[in-house]
Amino acid sequence: MVKNITIFTTNTCAYCVMVKKYLTNKGVSYEEVNLDQNPERQAEAQRLSGALTVPVTVVTHQDDSQDVIVGFNLGRLAPAVS
Amino acid sequence: MENISNNHEVIMIGAGPTALTAAIYTTREDIETLLFERGAIGGLAAVTDHIDNYPGFPDGVDGLVLADSMRKQAERFGAKIELGEVTAIAKDKKGIKLTTTSGDMHCKALLIATGSDYKKIGVPGEQEYYARGVHYCATCDGAFYRDKKIVVVGGGNSAAQEAVFLTRFASHIDMLVRADHFRASDVLQDEVAKHKDKITVHFNTTTDEIVGEDGKVLKVIGTDKTTGKKKDFETDGVFIFAGLNPNTQFLNGTGIELDAIGLIKTNDDLMTNIDGVFAAGDVRHGATMQIASATGEGATVALRIREYLEGHKVINE
Repeated sequence: MVKNITIFTTNTCAYCVMVKKYLTNKGVSYEEVNLDQNPERQAEAQRLSGALTVPVTVVTHQDDSQDVIVGFNLGRLAPAVS
Repeated sequence: MENISNNHEVIMIGAGPTALTAAIYTTREDIETLLFERGAIGGLAAVTDHIDNYPGFPDGVDGLVLADSMRKQAERFGAKIELGEVTAIAKDKKGIKLTTTSGDMHCKALLIATGSDYKKIGVPGEQEYYARGVHYCATCDGAFYRDKKIVVVGGGNSAAQEAVFLTRFASHIDMLVRADHFRASDVLQDEVAKHKDKITVHFNTTTDEIVGEDGKVLKVIGTDKTTGKKKDFETDGVFIFAGLNPNTQFLNGTGIELDAIGLIKTNDDLMTNIDGVFAAGDVRHGATMQIASATGEGATVALRIREYLEGHKVINE
């Protein structure tokens, strides 16, 4: 079971739009952290993902385990939020 | 989530400008149409910062905005877009069978409009530092390079456009162009020139290796073709826009005929060698890799699909 979802995005990132669209279609709520508006949180996104890219989707489960999904990767995103 | 049925009149693989245009045409003819998209709706257009050569927008248009407008227009007439992937195509007694991440499906006509992605240049370090210093999407990853140094590889329209976009963030950009001139349009060359305080263009320069340490890119090693000498470009990240690769790997084993670089061969009616399977846009042999021509092909292929579904014999002109 999913506890919460955080998506790190930027204003111009098309794949961020796709992640949000996918979760919205699934009826799953999420928190968005826009790195253009909150550049101080870039390091956090990088630490979680190990990558210099967005979207980064952090799915926290009820047992506090986390799935961190880089990009619009349905193969990983779909099972993580199901 | 809405359940989708397994039998369709038309399925389109991809939801870039070609398929979205085709879907506008088919759905306006009441032809039920489902699109599959595994990446960004709008394709490469959606990840392009700003588009200045698509008609109807005198001041240009942001790629995301254009893509979203096309999506809305297609959906307004009833096109359905499924976020998922087609992994196999075959023909059986029920028509054209697709294996997808949403289950098996059948359709009467299929359009392959999967477009292209930026090509990997195959140099040492490229794979190792992928997404950790090596990038193919400036609009996705540029924000991580505020006040940092960047190398942009390529000399075409995409490289020029994205280099200009990256000046929003970078302190300096070295642009490595293998040829002795730009392939980018004059307008984009002028845009690059306007940013000469931030962009230094190196013509006749190959990109040979991306070097880093502790998971961080430190420099690009290139060669000045006029002297044959190696040259180091210190950088924090590398953005590569050096040509396109068609998204046709998933067609291996389907029998759909491809050319030497993987583009789909079609006849004059945009049909592949398999009856009822059409291809259009950047993925088609002969494509000009422009958004305007992609939408034009989308309209054309939709009309051909309609003729096919009506059972008319399409006569080559």
